[in-house]
Amino acid sequence: MAKKISEKTLKKSFWNWFFWNGCSQQAESMLGMAFGQAMAPVVDELYDTKEEKSAALKRHITLFNTEAQVGSICNGIVCGMEEANANGECTPEIISSVKTALIGPTSAIGDSLWVATIIPILLTICLSISQANETMSWVGAVLYLVIYPLCTCIISWNLFKFGYKSGLNGMQTFMANGKLDKLTDTMTVMGLLVVGALTASYVSMSLPIQIVKDVYDATTQTTLEAQVLFNADNMLNAIFPKILPLGLTLVVYHLYTKKKWSPMKLMGLILVLAAILTAVGYAFGVYA
Amino acid sequence: MSTVQIILIALFIYLGAIGSIVGNTIGWYTLGRPLVASFVVGLIMGDVPTAMMVGIPLQIMYMGNVTPGGAVAWDLSYATYIGTAGALVFGKGMGTTEIIGLAVVFAGIGGLVGQLMWNVSYALNLPLNRIANKYAEAGETKKMYIPNLVGGQLIGFVCRFIPAVIVLTSMTAASAQADFASLIPGWITTMLGVFGGMMAALGMGIILSFLLKKKYHIAIFLIGFILVTYFGLSMMGVAVVAVLTAVLYFVVVDKVKVEE
Repeated sequence: MAKKISEKTLKKSFWNWFFWNGCSQQAESMLGMAFGQAMAPVVDELYDTKEEKSAALKRHITLFNTEAQVGSICNGIVCGMEEANANGECTPEIISSVKTALIGPTSAIGDSLWVATIIPILLTICLSISQANETMSWVGAVLYLVIYPLCTCIISWNLFKFGYKSGLNGMQTFMANGKLDKLTDTMTVMGLLVVGALTASYVSMSLPIQIVKDVYDATTQTTLEAQVLFNADNMLNAIFPKILPLGLTLVVYHLYTKKKWSPMKLMGLILVLAAILTAVGYAFGVYA
Repeated sequence: MSTVQIILIALFIYLGAIGSIVGNTIGWYTLGRPLVASFVVGLIMGDVPTAMMVGIPLQIMYMGNVTPGGAVAWDLSYATYIGTAGALVFGKGMGTTEIIGLAVVFAGIGGLVGQLMWNVSYALNLPLNRIANKYAEAGETKKMYIPNLVGGQLIGFVCRFIPAVIVLTSMTAASAQADFASLIPGWITTMLGVFGGMMAALGMGIILSFLLKKKYHIAIFLIGFILVTYFGLSMMGVAVVAVLTAVLYFVVVDKVKVEE
C-alpha cells in the first residue's frame, strides 16, 4: 500500500517550522537543525526501520537557509518528495539536490516580496494611521500586531500545502521553463519601486547653509530685515528634489556592498556626517 | 522602573528577537518592530501616548532594518525596547524633540548590546549541530526538537533576557541619580534629530544590496523615488503602481521569451 503523510503530521511539521525556524541559527548549517525538527514527524510516519529514519534525518539537518515565511513552500515540496521516496518513486539524491536548488530562489523571492515590500508597506500604512490620530496613536500598532502575523501565517501554510501537492513534478516544470527566474525578477522589480518610494519618503538630509542679510530697498527706502539671500538646500532641491537623501542612500549602498563596510561602521559615518552638518547649521544660523 | 516592569520589558526583548519561542513572524517581524515595541513598552510603563510619540520616529529611522540572508545589521528588538524605555524613564518633563533624542540615544546603546549578544548566541549555537547529528544518527525522530528548540531557546533566552535586565536595572538606577533633562544641551538634541533622519538611509542601502542585481535596476529604484518626489504619490499609491507594474512585467517577460 502506498504511504501517505496524514494531514495531522503535515500540520505538525508546518508548525514546527513556522514557530521554530530561527531557534538554532548558526553559521554551520544555518536553519538546518530547524529543518530537521520540522521534518522529524514526517520521517517518523513514513519510515519504519531505524536505518531509514536515520538516513532521512541526516539529509535534513544539513545546510539549509531561506526566507522562512515564504520558504515554507520548500518544506511542503520536501514533504512531498519524502513521501515519494518512501514509495520508491524518488531518490534521496534528488531530494537533497532539489532542496539545495530551492535555497536561492525562495530566499530571493522571500526577501524582495516579504521583507522589502510587504512589511514596509504594511508598516507605513499602520504608521500613517498612528500619525493621523494623535490621541489614539496605538491603533496603528495594534492593527499591525494583528494583521501581520495572521496574514503571514495563512499565506505561509497555503504555500506549504501548495508545495506538498505540486510536489516534485510541479516544481520541476516550474523551474525548467524558467518561470521561477521570471517570478524572482518580477518580485525584484516590485521591491525596487517600493524601496525607491520608501527612500524618498523616509530618508531626510539637508544642507543647512544660508545667507541672511538685512536688505535696503531703494524704491521704498526701507530696510527689509533678515532676508534669505541664498539657501543651499532649496537650491539643491530645485535641481532635483531630495537629491541629498538619495545620494546618501546610494553612498551607503556602495560602501555596504562594494567596500564591505559593516552596518556599525556605516552608522558611525552617519553620526559623524550628522555632527558636521549640525555644526555647519549652527555656524550659518539655520539651527538656532 | 519597578522590578516587574523590568522583567516584563526584558521578556519582550527576548520574544521580539530573532529565533524566540514565538517564531520570527510573531517575534522579530511583529513584536520587534518599533511601532509595536513602543506600544508594548507604553502598556507596561503605563504611558502609551508618550511611548507612541517616540515609537513613530524610531520606526521611520529603522524602516529598512531587515535581515537579508540572516545577516543581522542591527538588533532592532534590543534597540527599540531599550530606546523607548529609556525615553520614558529619563524624559519626564521634557519637550517632544528632547524625548525623541533620548530615545535615539538609548536605542543606540540597546542596539549595540543586542548586536554583541546576537554574535555570542550565533557562536554558542554551533555545538548544537553535534547533538543534532547524534540524534539523527540514532534515528531518534522524537528527540529532534532537543537541539533546535530546547538548546536554541536556552541559549537565546540567556543571551537576551539577562543582559536586558542588567541594562534596564542600571538605567533605572542612573535615572535616580541625576536630572538628565537639564544636562542635555540643545545642540545634541538637534544633532540627534539630524542623525535620526539620515539613519533611515542605512536600512534602505541594505535592502538595495539584495535587490540591485543588474545595472539597469537602479532606474527602477529611481522611478519609485520620483513617484514620491515629483508625482507626490503616497506609499499606498506606490504600492498599487508596483503591483500593477509587476503584473505587466511578468507578462511582457513571458512574451519576449516566447518570441526568442
